[in-house]
Amino acid sequence: MKILKMAKENLDLFVSVLPAFGEVYAPLKRGKGYVFDRPSRWSDVQLKYSRTMLPPKKLMLPPREMTFAFDPEKGYQDSLTEASKPMVLFGVHAYDIYGLNILDRVFAQAKYPDPYYIARRKATTIIGIDFEPDEKHCASSMNADFVDHGFDLFLSDIGDEYLVLVGTSRGDDILIMSNCLMHTPTEADIEEYKKRSKSRRDSYKVHLALEDLPEILEMEYHSKVWDEFGKGCLSCGSCSMVCPTCYCFDVYDEVDLGSRKGQRIRQWDSCLLRTHALVAGGENFRHARSSRVKFRFYHKQRGFVAEYGRPSCIGCGRCVDVCPAEINIISVIQSIRGERDVKPSNSSASS
Amino acid sequence: MVKTMNEPKAVLIIDDDSDFVRAIRTLLEASGFKVRSAPNGRDGLQLARTSQPDLILLDVMMTERTEGFFVLQEIRRIPELSKTPVIILSSIYSDEPTFRVDPDAGWLPANLFLAKPVDPTRLLTEVTRLMNESALVKSSSEAVRR
Repeated sequence: MKILKMAKENLDLFVSVLPAFGEVYAPLKRGKGYVFDRPSRWSDVQLKYSRTMLPPKKLMLPPREMTFAFDPEKGYQDSLTEASKPMVLFGVHAYDIYGLNILDRVFAQAKYPDPYYIARRKATTIIGIDFEPDEKHCASSMNADFVDHGFDLFLSDIGDEYLVLVGTSRGDDILIMSNCLMHTPTEADIEEYKKRSKSRRDSYKVHLALEDLPEILEMEYHSKVWDEFGKGCLSCGSCSMVCPTCYCFDVYDEVDLGSRKGQRIRQWDSCLLRTHALVAGGENFRHARSSRVKFRFYHKQRGFVAEYGRPSCIGCGRCVDVCPAEINIISVIQSIRGERDVKPSNSSASS
Repeated sequence: MVKTMNEPKAVLIIDDDSDFVRAIRTLLEASGFKVRSAPNGRDGLQLARTSQPDLILLDVMMTERTEGFFVLQEIRRIPELSKTPVIILSSIYSDEPTFRVDPDAGWLPANLFLAKPVDPTRLLTEVTRLMNESALVKSSSEAVRR
């Protein structure tokens, strides 16, 4: 892997060459949180951010998208051209890149490749940046605090400079264009990188044991813990909306009244919502809230391990951030392991 | 915004150097152009939206060192301004030894990159040329629509 370095004071100039590779999205402050959006000036870009409210998933798999329009006269018109518009995602944390790598397995490498996702992913340049974990991150427990692929360039803070790791030939093209800003790192720079890498690993406040978790989940399938979480869950679906690796979606047609024209829409869905497992005839396979909470965690921590060899959680802490009932990856794993009591913040009916 | 045939062509200068703006304004007005100006990117974008100039002269280093680059991206996102000719006038690649933008690199959606200090004759030639080209494109696309 090619590695160079760049002075931090030149980062604004570096970002100025990125429009050559697509529309630039970067972490910006929005209210009390952060979002990936298009900066209108360099000072809007936040390099020291905890996590964005929505993960980069929103740009690869938009919350609501038209996949194609249909018309008896014009036939089908898909939205692949729009999806192929070049984009640069600047300042993505390692766990979010890991999240995209997981989505790749589902949408690009699985049995039924998704052309819309693949078009966006191919047209997107990813530039990663390292981060300091806070009390909600558990990316190291999920082995997602470091990535070795899935990015074009990755910037690692070594003081007054960034080490720039090149991940792809497109990343190399960016460096050729900004060649005047790049220098060869010294041995001292590499030492500094290693020192900071260890310090970041040591600074995680949350440590979760995953080793035998699939087996423990198997043993605890009928545990009362799920009922307790079911009492607390509001079925709002916030956890799956902000999750970088939740990818359930619904598909429906919007037909123009009085004609045979219309659009096929794909929209995010959530297994926490009551209608997720509702089928024709009124049968609901996961009517109880407890079963929906359980389903989500079994899919992430057990089903995904069986299918892809690793859990799909990447430890970003977004579910910790948003769940009003404090049901999140940390509280669930610790409770199912018997390391803490379940404390539902809400208890009412069970559906 | 509807413009009549005889209305003078409008140029918007977005630059924080008031002396430079005054000099360019004098030069352009003497050649029959109508000139507006804004001292930073944000005001410049606002003015560009409302006045829809025929050409924009854009500085890079204003409140921020790369402000003009971001302003240019914004300009290209606004449908009414997406085809407006933009000339970047900047000393960024002559005064900044750590960063040299190749004016011919073509990585910015600008029509032209001119280094400051600007040669007045060259500037006038380029402003006129780009405006004529833009008018030609506009009239031919209108003809196609008709």
